[in-house]
Amino acid sequence: MKFNELQKYVCGSVLVFAVSIGLSACSDSSSSSSEGTGSASAAGSINDGAGAPDGSEGSCDAQVEGVNWNALMTETCPNLSDYNLFTDSFDPTDNPSAGGVPYDLSTALFTDYASKYRFVFVPEGETVSYTEDEVLDFPVGTVLVKTFAMPENTSFRDGAETVIETRLLIHRDTGWKALPYYWESETAATLAITGADIPNMTTNHNGVDLDFTYQVPKATSCTSCHSVVPILQDSDDRRQAIFMPIGPKARFLNKTFDYADTSMNQLVYWQEQGLLTGLPADLSTVAQAPVFSDTTDVSALTSSELEDAAKAYLDINCAHCHRSELSLPEPNYAGPAGSSGLNVEYNRAYADNPTKFGTCKVPVAGGHADYSADVVPQDSGDSYLLFRMNTNDQRHRMPELGRATVHQEGVNLIVAWIDGLPAASCTP
Amino acid sequence: MNKHNAKPSWLKKSLCLCLAAALLSGCGGDDGDDGMNGVDGQDGAAGAAGSDGSGNANPEFVTTSGFSFPSDSIFVAPEAVDGDNITNDLLLALFDAPAGSTVVMPKGSFVIDETITVANANELTLTGYGITDTKLDFTGATGDDAIRFEGGLDITVRDFGVYEANKNGIKVVGANGVHLTYTATVWEGDLTADNGAYGLYPLQSQNILMEHNYARGSADAGIYVGQSNNIIVRNNIAKENVAGIEIENSNNADVYNNLAVGNTGGILVFDLPGLDQAYGGNVRVFNNESYANNAENFAGGGAVSIVPPGTGILIFATSGVEIYNNELTDNETSAIEIASYFLSDPDVANYATNYGGTIANGWSPQIKNVYLHDNVIKRSGANPRGSLVTDIVNGYTAPVGVGGKGETMPAILYGGIGELLSNAGELAAFNGLVGAEAQADGVNYNPYTADDLICANNNINDNEPAAETQFPHVNIGLVYGTDPTDLTNFDFSSGSPVPTPTLRSEPVQGNSTLLNCTQDRLAATEVNFRGKTYGCAGDDLAEPACSL
Repeated sequence: MKFNELQKYVCGSVLVFAVSIGLSACSDSSSSSSEGTGSASAAGSINDGAGAPDGSEGSCDAQVEGVNWNALMTETCPNLSDYNLFTDSFDPTDNPSAGGVPYDLSTALFTDYASKYRFVFVPEGETVSYTEDEVLDFPVGTVLVKTFAMPENTSFRDGAETVIETRLLIHRDTGWKALPYYWESETAATLAITGADIPNMTTNHNGVDLDFTYQVPKATSCTSCHSVVPILQDSDDRRQAIFMPIGPKARFLNKTFDYADTSMNQLVYWQEQGLLTGLPADLSTVAQAPVFSDTTDVSALTSSELEDAAKAYLDINCAHCHRSELSLPEPNYAGPAGSSGLNVEYNRAYADNPTKFGTCKVPVAGGHADYSADVVPQDSGDSYLLFRMNTNDQRHRMPELGRATVHQEGVNLIVAWIDGLPAASCTP
Repeated sequence: MNKHNAKPSWLKKSLCLCLAAALLSGCGGDDGDDGMNGVDGQDGAAGAAGSDGSGNANPEFVTTSGFSFPSDSIFVAPEAVDGDNITNDLLLALFDAPAGSTVVMPKGSFVIDETITVANANELTLTGYGITDTKLDFTGATGDDAIRFEGGLDITVRDFGVYEANKNGIKVVGANGVHLTYTATVWEGDLTADNGAYGLYPLQSQNILMEHNYARGSADAGIYVGQSNNIIVRNNIAKENVAGIEIENSNNADVYNNLAVGNTGGILVFDLPGLDQAYGGNVRVFNNESYANNAENFAGGGAVSIVPPGTGILIFATSGVEIYNNELTDNETSAIEIASYFLSDPDVANYATNYGGTIANGWSPQIKNVYLHDNVIKRSGANPRGSLVTDIVNGYTAPVGVGGKGETMPAILYGGIGELLSNAGELAAFNGLVGAEAQADGVNYNPYTADDLICANNNINDNEPAAETQFPHVNIGLVYGTDPTDLTNFDFSSGSPVPTPTLRSEPVQGNSTLLNCTQDRLAATEVNFRGKTYGCAGDDLAEPACSL
């Protein structure tokens, strides 16, 4: 891959690289990490020799072989390279340090057609525990690393691209902590608490040049998507929001991935490599969100495949906020927009309560005079949910963060789903 | 620590100023006086240094409402001048603020170009220098809400104004302890559908105190509380919003001493279907002034788009509401409207399909136990309108012989259809939909008992004699009779009885037979915030409105 001169995009944007941040943006999230039941470890684990935090205070300047675990656990480092997560500290897209495993998701959050490079780092001696519906139970010490890069042409994602930002989710003993790093040059990714605006970001998508302002979210925005909030039970209920990852759920990991030496189902690979415990022996019992990409031919999907794809898309793009308690392990928590009544988790059956998916539901907050309900079955043009996906207007766009362009392929998918839904009372 | 540790510039400045503040104030010389006018007895939550209690406080460190900044306050961009963009300064200050911090925004008018998000704030005070002294302009910002708190404990927001938010002005979700005071949310200029959504907007929160705020121009509700419990809304001004003040799916709310003027609807109490907190109740609305709420409905959509222009107070599908001693003047449709959800969605046959889930959780289209008394009504119904009530308006006001009664539109208007359907047994099947928890809480679709009735008495016609030619009556109107044995309440032309409007009306004073009953008074609400109790059972014990 090749770095463009990113600085030319940065003029006019304001960056502040704050250091030594000691806040607790993440709340306590009791992690029941596995108790060493990982039987696969007998045959050795992929993270043997990866090292692990030793409980002492870390240093961003520590000279370490491999991952700087202690710094990850205690320090907010000014430079991504301080954590030594990659063999080549200038390339966060490949060659993770020992302990890092690449992964991807079958259906992903749309971020302005950016390519994403994901890695999970699990400390030596620790394992991830399987969870049926929620994010896998990652042990303390885990680091989820996601790098965003804009391809010159979305049809050639292996071609030239601009690396923009690398986000870390670090599982500390106090809970998950998010740190955003911005690639201000091809050799420096620095902590960007206040985010960054990158005007004139371009990519060619299906022959059309898109030109927009890419927003690197500020650190405080992480909670907007990554937290669940307490449904306060009474006047004395003083629970706080809980910060958590979104993507690495079994249903999105349950797909084939091309590793350097093999091609294999990610969950099976993690298990075989001694990284994952508790995976059901019968993989067919593990939920599987379908693979959806910009090249998926929506018109070729059967109606059940269409519903499956739409639910997976709504889940990964919307349900971090638009979710209820459902399968959350913490009682009486919900997504920040759970209160809207629109709850679109993949593991919710549409037929159980179509209103939860917006069917014939009048928007509670806001709304738009031209759209009578969130979802009007068989009339996507009258559906407010679709309108919100299909606009860049700040007042109405959804998701609120992370996109300046419309995901046309996602819109097409949801149009097909709405237009194919069984008629409901609001259907014209 | 690492060697790259460079302190941001705002921090250095704040340290200098804090030192100065400590010197000026003698650090801890607070006498407990908060500089407030004592009307409401609230303490401004200052508590620490910054005021010397003798009126000599340095204006650099006291807001126009009398809140003195503690000596360890964090000052955001203290040297910013009008028009500066202080987004990053504010973000950094909030990101780094430890529990108990006071974050002070500068005096002047500033640009904020992005949503400000604060998660899990703990005893944070976010303040400016005064409701008109610190203005944050969100015109052209990215993101939807202007300021959003997610989670949090005992948050105070005070002494500044938020202008031109893309969507909501100040949203707080999932917090316990929210004090919004001397804060404005404003959309200036014409009243249009793109004037954001809510102004001040606590949601799914507990212990909410909103006082001395100002909300103007919202295309939804200016001052709103939703899916929350233990709420006091007092001494606020809501002007020219679609809904001035709205309490929605919330329990235990006292709304008093507010002014709602120029809105589409002045004060609203709603229970909407499909929400996490399925229903509310124990809401008292008293001693408010609701004047000339005659703005045409400019909502872009959503539930408030049904509100008829000219509405003083509207109770919509919420049971357990007491409305008393309010002054309702110059509202051109009705001073007080009471409606079940059937007014908005009369498709009774499809309720199980459309609302089965939320009915199970206890939401009900019914309205029960509403008690209206001692409200003072003047010049109501001068120009009744609104798509929701067109037929009702015509029925009452069209000339006799044209199909109407040729009357002034009733000042107190009760729909009655839900009660009639219940009393006729038409909704008995809904009982099977109600979940156990809601059943235990008394949710049912049986015929109304005495405890369920909508009651109105001692409401006062306050029209001046000179106005009596234009406003000859201040009437109670009942659109549908509620007695199922009265055959005039049904239309038999199709063979089976169909409820039919009878449009009864009588003067509010004298021997009214409509809504002639009383209900038990509702209990006062307490809000607990930072160790103090607020409301009629707390700091406002001596407030006259609390004795009404």
